[in-house]
Amino acid sequence: MRTVRLYFRLLGAHFRSLLEYEADFLILAAATVLMQVVNIVFLAALFAKVPALNGWTFWSVLMMFGAVALAEGVGSLFFDGMWSLAWQINRGQLDYFLVRPYPVALQSSSAAIGINGLSNIIMGAIMIGTALAHVDVAWTPWLALLGVVLLISSVVIKVSINLATNAVSFWLASPTPMFAFAMHQVGDLARFPLTIYPLALKAALGVVLPFAFIGFFPIAFLLDTGQSRWIGLLTPLVAAYCAGAAILIFKRGLRRYESAGN
Amino acid sequence: MPIVEARALTKVFRRPDKGPGLAGSVKHLFARRFQDKVAVDHIDLSIEAGEAVAYVGPNGAGKSTTVKLLSGILVPTQGEVRIDGLHPQRDRMTVAHRIGVLFGQRTQLWWDLPVAESLAVLRDIYGVDPATYRKRLARFDEVLELGEILTVVGRKLSLGQRMRADLAAALIHGPQVVYLDEPTIGLDLAVKERVREFFRSIRDEGTTVMLTSHDLADIEGFCRRLVIIDEGRIIFDGDLEAVKDRYARERILHIETARPVPLETLRASLPGAQVTVEDSPLRYAVRFDRFTMTAGHAVTALAGLTDLVDFRVDEPSIEDVIRRVYSGELVLG
Repeated sequence: MRTVRLYFRLLGAHFRSLLEYEADFLILAAATVLMQVVNIVFLAALFAKVPALNGWTFWSVLMMFGAVALAEGVGSLFFDGMWSLAWQINRGQLDYFLVRPYPVALQSSSAAIGINGLSNIIMGAIMIGTALAHVDVAWTPWLALLGVVLLISSVVIKVSINLATNAVSFWLASPTPMFAFAMHQVGDLARFPLTIYPLALKAALGVVLPFAFIGFFPIAFLLDTGQSRWIGLLTPLVAAYCAGAAILIFKRGLRRYESAGN
Repeated sequence: MPIVEARALTKVFRRPDKGPGLAGSVKHLFARRFQDKVAVDHIDLSIEAGEAVAYVGPNGAGKSTTVKLLSGILVPTQGEVRIDGLHPQRDRMTVAHRIGVLFGQRTQLWWDLPVAESLAVLRDIYGVDPATYRKRLARFDEVLELGEILTVVGRKLSLGQRMRADLAAALIHGPQVVYLDEPTIGLDLAVKERVREFFRSIRDEGTTVMLTSHDLADIEGFCRRLVIIDEGRIIFDGDLEAVKDRYARERILHIETARPVPLETLRASLPGAQVTVEDSPLRYAVRFDRFTMTAGHAVTALAGLTDLVDFRVDEPSIEDVIRRVYSGELVLG
């Protein structure tokens, strides 16, 4: 609990700077909303031609888009510092992190606030909300609770993948998170039903970097779409696995940290 | 039990061995070659609680690397470190409460926060209770004069202000061991003096201090123990005053006389000393070994010959001794 409270304290230390650069905030927020709108227009155009993708309707894909946007939004709003890890390593900025009694990964991830995450979260919530109003699900309290658990798990998966891929910077000495960014791009593919992809890509998105567990599998379960809907129930386990693996990779990387010369 | 202990501590950095220019970099992509650089080479060091240790050496000797190893920032390639008996990586959280680190070249303050806020964030990270925090802050304020800078945002601090704030930041949790790496670099004399006074005050409270500095004036009158590192190895570890006694024996007496005095007369009155004329014919320099002659003796002898208008005694600093060690001119035993 203390760790969480301190986390927000550390994040808050950057909130002030956020307010100082108001123009940045507005431009970023506008750009993020615009991008999501483009996504939706694209989806609408696509589904105007085809009624469904392997059983996935416009509304169910919209919900998937929403889940991914929400997970990404939480990632940038609360954990944006991860994207500076490569720079922090390159510059030797972990020195002081390492001598403070607080987890190094959390000090790194709290080093920035991605305010565009806020618009992603709002857009994501709107997308999920709108989609839910149009799909036919027999909601029970248990199913609703499960839905919330799945949603939280998908956020954990996204943040863990961000951490793990950024931690690769401990091995690549580059000052920019090229690898993590490339993987993030690959993850964009997981906003569409996994079933439309060839096997290799399915394996990559389902197992190697389980982006498909952010939207596809849990939503397939909730909306009862496709054949193997039970896989969606594994989402919390996948989340635990991803978080554990990310922490492990980070810790291994930290042992390689070489600081920077003075 | 020593509070800081290093045994056979070694750090080897692996550097990519690239040819010059773009061609070299591209070639490196295909044929990776690395070169090992031994930054710290089997260092044994143990520091008792309450000691003030000066850790000096020429550029690139491995000073900062040692500090990073001793504070657990770097994982040693070989050997081990214990802080108060604890392993710096395995017990990182506990060790973090016991040590304070300052890298003079790098700040730990938050860029966009006023100093007071940065210190308050650190207070929360370390879990310092409000009363203790206020007490410490008030004490730091006495010597470092933080008052005026507490409201200044990190990025707007001058170097001198930043260093004072960073010193407070490094010590706000009351660490038992403090590593100060180049804590006076780039500061003007007035600030340096204030910072040095602060070092003395924390030493007198019983904090163990390891001080790395290029400015050897920092260590004089502060550290009793001197450790010299060169090319990753400790080449001397002993008492600073003893080194001075042994190797900084020469004294120079500068005198100014009312009337010119022949050099021969002066020389004859001071056997064993070297007398030379300085920039004006009325000024002379008398060099002597402080174990064969005292300054008082020399002044008395000279005063009998002529009217002394003015005189001053220079003693070589530890700086001169260490410079001679770096250049290989002097080997300390």
